Amino acid sequence: MRFMIIVKSTPQSEAGDMPKQELLEAMGKFNEELVAAGIMLAGEGLQPSSKGAARVHFKGNKRTVVDGPFAEAKELVAGFWIWQCKSFEEALEWVKRCPNPHDEEGELEIRQIFELDDFGSELTPELRASEERLRTELESRQK
Amino acid sequence: MRFMMLMIPKGYESAAPDAMPSAEAVAAMMRYNESLKKAGVLLALDGLHPPSTGARVTFPGGKPQVTDGPFSEVKEVLGGYWMIQVRSREEAIEWAKRCPASPNETIEIRQVQELADFPPDLQKAATGYAEMQPHARKAS
Repeated sequence: MRFMIIVKSTPQSEAGDMPKQELLEAMGKFNEELVAAGIMLAGEGLQPSSKGAARVHFKGNKRTVVDGPFAEAKELVAGFWIWQCKSFEEALEWVKRCPNPHDEEGELEIRQIFELDDFGSELTPELRASEERLRTELESRQK
Repeated sequence: MRFMMLMIPKGYESAAPDAMPSAEAVAAMMRYNESLKKAGVLLALDGLHPPSTGARVTFPGGKPQVTDGPFSEVKEVLGGYWMIQVRSREEAIEWAKRCPASPNETIEIRQVQELADFPPDLQKAATGYAEMQPHARKAS
């Protein structure tokens, strides 16, 4: 099963403070362990919401664009990993071993990713085939 | 430039563990996903189970502390994401506007940090980071 590990923003990360070399080294080591254990599938950091950010709200056919930065400094996504784990507990154990991603109090959120089998009969065979085609093509592009 | 489109569905913070979208919603979203793929901008996408099945780990005083979902004090949560490769922030916003989203949904657009965004000493400390990013390696 796959999990998304969400690194929540902090006032410092939203202020655009770059991580210190010490933290980058600790995080690099942690990532090496994740890769060696076959856990890590992807991981990225996001720019603070003051750079290259916007929100699009939907109401009927109307689209309203609100430019960043956003006020919710502790509720935003600052980064994420995608992990392949045998269980929720395994994901949780790895998260607990993660170096604190910020120089201040921070939070990581663990969320399980939907797989095709989770959708049941609502996902018709045609929809399933089209979704599988999409994913196969995306994977082949990355090779 | 890579951008993440973060899908934030209002109400998902209190959704039941077995909450599912309707077949019509899935079909409409698949047509949108196909259009992203045909345009060559789609790098990755995923949907997340409700936060009632998740957990949050905080680090008070540097020690991990686990809170199981649902997270009652939280106003908004992530329902899924797209990772796209586009030429500008404006192009990313245009793609978000075309999404067949519902009135309770918001899409947040955020630029992804590339290694080149870091100063040289930090790039050195982050050696090996690029190899861990299959999406970045092939897209850039």
